[in-house]
Amino acid sequence: MTDVVPKVDTVKLTIDGIEVEAPKGALVIRAAEQIGISIPRFCDHPLLAPAGACRQCLVDVEGQRKPVASCTQPVAEGMVVRTQMTSEVAKKAQEGIMEFLLINHPLDCPVCDKGGECPLQNQAMSNGQSESRFVEHKREYPKPLPISTQVLLDRERCVLCQRCTRFSDEIAGDKFIDLMERSSNEQIGVFRGNPESPEDDAPFNSYYSGNTIQICPVGALTSAQYRFRARPFDLVSTPNACEHCAAGCDQRADHRRGKVMRRLAGDDAAVNEEWNCDKGRFAFQYTQATDRLTKPLVRDRKTGELREASWPEALTVAAAGLAAAKDNGGVGVLTGGRLTVEDAFAYSKFARVALGTNDIDFRARPLSGEETEFLGSSVAGRVDVTYADIERAGAVVFVGLEPEEECPIIFLRARKTYLKRGLASYAVAPFVSRGFEKLGATVILTTPGAEAEVLGESEQLREALSADGAILFVGERLASVEGGLSTAARIAEETGAKLAWVPRRAGDRGAVEAGALPTLLPGGRPVYDPAARSEVAAAWQLDAGVLPSASGRDTDAIIAAAKAGQLGALLVGGVDPADLADPQAAEQALDAVGFVVSLELRLSVVAKRADVVLPIAPAVEKTGSYVNWEGRVRPFGTVLKTAAMSDARVLDALGRELGLELGVGDVAAARTQLAALAELPLPGTAEAGTALRGSVRVAVPTVAAGAAAAPTSGQAVLASWHHLLDNGSLQDGDGHLAGTARTPVARISKSTAADLGVADGDAVTVGTGRGAITLPALVTDMVDGVVWVPTNSPGSTLRRTLGVAEGALVEISTGGTKS
Amino acid sequence: MAFSEVTRERARQIIARYPEGRSRSALLPLLHLVQSEQGYVSPEGIAFCAEVLDITKAQVGAVATFYTMYKRKPTGDYLVSVCTNTMCGVLGGDKAFEALRDYLGVDHDETSSDGKITLEHAECLAACDYAPVMTVNYEFFDQITEDSALTLVKQLQNGERPQPTRGTRLCTLKEMAVQLAGFADDRGDDVIADGPAGEPTLAGNRLAERFGIAVPGFDPETPITKKAEEAPKPTETLPKAASDGKPAGDGPLPQKKEEAKP
Ligand code: FES
Ligand code: FES
Repeated sequence: MTDVVPKVDTVKLTIDGIEVEAPKGALVIRAAEQIGISIPRFCDHPLLAPAGACRQCLVDVEGQRKPVASCTQPVAEGMVVRTQMTSEVAKKAQEGIMEFLLINHPLDCPVCDKGGECPLQNQAMSNGQSESRFVEHKREYPKPLPISTQVLLDRERCVLCQRCTRFSDEIAGDKFIDLMERSSNEQIGVFRGNPESPEDDAPFNSYYSGNTIQICPVGALTSAQYRFRARPFDLVSTPNACEHCAAGCDQRADHRRGKVMRRLAGDDAAVNEEWNCDKGRFAFQYTQATDRLTKPLVRDRKTGELREASWPEALTVAAAGLAAAKDNGGVGVLTGGRLTVEDAFAYSKFARVALGTNDIDFRARPLSGEETEFLGSSVAGRVDVTYADIERAGAVVFVGLEPEEECPIIFLRARKTYLKRGLASYAVAPFVSRGFEKLGATVILTTPGAEAEVLGESEQLREALSADGAILFVGERLASVEGGLSTAARIAEETGAKLAWVPRRAGDRGAVEAGALPTLLPGGRPVYDPAARSEVAAAWQLDAGVLPSASGRDTDAIIAAAKAGQLGALLVGGVDPADLADPQAAEQALDAVGFVVSLELRLSVVAKRADVVLPIAPAVEKTGSYVNWEGRVRPFGTVLKTAAMSDARVLDALGRELGLELGVGDVAAARTQLAALAELPLPGTAEAGTALRGSVRVAVPTVAAGAAAAPTSGQAVLASWHHLLDNGSLQDGDGHLAGTARTPVARISKSTAADLGVADGDAVTVGTGRGAITLPALVTDMVDGVVWVPTNSPGSTLRRTLGVAEGALVEISTGGTKS
Repeated sequence: MAFSEVTRERARQIIARYPEGRSRSALLPLLHLVQSEQGYVSPEGIAFCAEVLDITKAQVGAVATFYTMYKRKPTGDYLVSVCTNTMCGVLGGDKAFEALRDYLGVDHDETSSDGKITLEHAECLAACDYAPVMTVNYEFFDQITEDSALTLVKQLQNGERPQPTRGTRLCTLKEMAVQLAGFADDRGDDVIADGPAGEPTLAGNRLAERFGIAVPGFDPETPITKKAEEAPKPTETLPKAASDGKPAGDGPLPQKKEEAKP
């Protein structure tokens, strides 16, 4: 799609004697930046509305009696501006303001986290006076004040620029911090009520709160996780892509002495702008977990226990076991959704070439055959929707996706557009979540299972989707709704709306492109298509007939086959059985199958059951790329150079052990191979891919819309999604982050609550034949006969405890003891 | 939540006064409302306002802590505010405040042990012409002295309700908060509208008339104009504003080092 660059009206003005042409309405401070003149500032932030709160940016404007704040002053034709570079007035004004701002500032830079990267420190040096005339005692406050478990406030350092309060209001929509008190006591604060009942306090529990630490231009807001742990000048910074979700945020990892000390949001205008979510920022300590694997493990024949082994031994044992299993039932490959696209490609190739199977699936969650088709027809190779499209969309519709919880950057873009021009959002969901509320979304309250029906029949949605540039976002959860994805594809086609599939994990989309699916080869090529197979065979220099032609089994089928003793072995990447539709079945499968090879970071449930465990590198210790929900490649380099190997390198070595030269061990080589098959602009691959050349695309699924289950008395339909911050294993090790997670509750409607005889806060038990979850009730405006609980939060491990997915019928009762 | 149905109903009425989507503007009267029930804006009151307006408690707290009329500790029946700003201060306000402080044994923003009187010193109450002034529950007592202030407070403690110099008879602080929340004054006929300007108010005018002092060319009938139309050109003889052509902040000379106290 070619973007038509709209013509901008411009005006001419002079800044420091230099003529500048700036867009009409631009701010003087931005116009000055255009010609490389930097005016000192604190409150000004290009992504926040002008505030003029700190007065540091004063400049001299001809014809104005007093110096003018350049961050609030729009340019005008013929305006003559003099900054501190050419005007004594401006220079003196700025020095005066700086002196004011420093009256109460403690100048404790030597013990402040911000010291060394502090705009106040820097600008006091560049635009302030070396001597202060103030000799009075400075204001003191008890410090630090935790405004949440992860953000600490040192009030005496604050210059009241209000970047943090403006961010939480304008960007995140979480106005939990504000300017409290007045006059010389004015201070940033959260609501604190009675000291005796701290549970009534309202801390800064925003999913985006870490951004305020990053944009604080002084050291007033610091990170509990990072406080006093390093100095900026001792850190080595590496650009990095976030490994947590499909948003694809650009990030920066700062490390020192072999450890990542902190992560910051990167600046990518096309994706995350300058923000990220707290999970991306703070959840990185999992790589230092005590159960991190660094050496291969092999199950000892005599003791039956796992013991450390050398790489050659482990690879030999693994190769032998896989080779034996290949001819004896075959090997199923479960890769998980956390892989880089290069690693996913390695699994894809390894499965086909080394194991001769299409039994490979990246999906570690409830899934469906309909979804498998949909991924081929409507996801692989498609780059139809971008973040920028949200800003242009006539309307957006979310089905099976709660954007704030499941893809926080989509939420930020939608909210930005909602605030800017009232973007109309619609959602098909069981209740109006906080995210939907902040988007002003029209929510069609729907019982899980009935989404397809609603989407297919709602005139309101059809109309919305017919709007110019409308986008239909479907989440991975829609896979478990019969006919959900078929209906989405059909409605998008009929209305002309763009369709975007948003998975939850960073590696999901890349795995689709790399062909880590039972029916798709790299580049979205259908396994069943001979032309597709011969293209891939040619690229991989394989003889005809080497590539398996039968469609493989998906995750559920692989597990069922393994459980039934039909598979010889399982090769498992980073998969947690607890994420699967039926964790019990998965564990039984692991027990039943003759041979398990686990490529793992930590001694996981799978690794513990494996015959050979091969340790692999976490994202920070390898180079690779994620493909985000847009289909955009997010390459990143190695942050920490360690001996740890990527999945691809391990698979390459395993391949060699089997006598094969897969050539995927080296990232550059893997990229070249992948780029030859898929349209992915991977770094270092100048050639655009040849995706789908001469090959057919999988047909769009046409499954009819199913109906929601009908609960009888004492039953409810289960609704659920993951909280952004939950029990996810990549969040292990950071208590500060966990402290800001939303409290797990069981949401039920008023009438459901009345039937049960419970009120807010009373215990509600949700159970199946397998187990039960007890959570405090939260009476919510939602569909009757439905209970919503978080998927994987403390006290609510849905799949492990209940063994069911969304849309299932569950028993619901009052109270009960916690199982 | 402990708020009464009366308060809840009043809250609904207050919110209904504002256009749809602008209910946030109802916050100021709502804070008076919760104060009218509890005597101060308690954490509970903040939570109540947040709930009925669907905004965060931090947003309510920000407003409640900004304005001094919202009290953050339980108050007495009578809020005694003594003006200690410049004019009243020098004319005896400071002394009156001290006398009350010593007598009641409480300082600024504290409540006497009998729970009757909350004492505060106030900034200019906009009645400098009657200085020194104090107010009880925002009703004026003009030209006070230490003695008259003490007598007044003692009367209040004895359950009497002395008549303010101007305005109407006293009510309790909670009753006053109901009015401040925008509900009609139920003191009926006793309500006295402000009369014509009193003698002290006009003293300056009279002096000016007597000595023929006037703003040159000022016509008292001049209609108030908009900023843009008006803007009288500064004449050459007027002193230039500090920022005119001179660097801002170019004020008094820097403090001399030796004057500096450690
Ligand atoms: S940067 Fe302009 S007023 Fe703060
Ligand atoms: S100084 Fe007391 S009323 Fe103005």
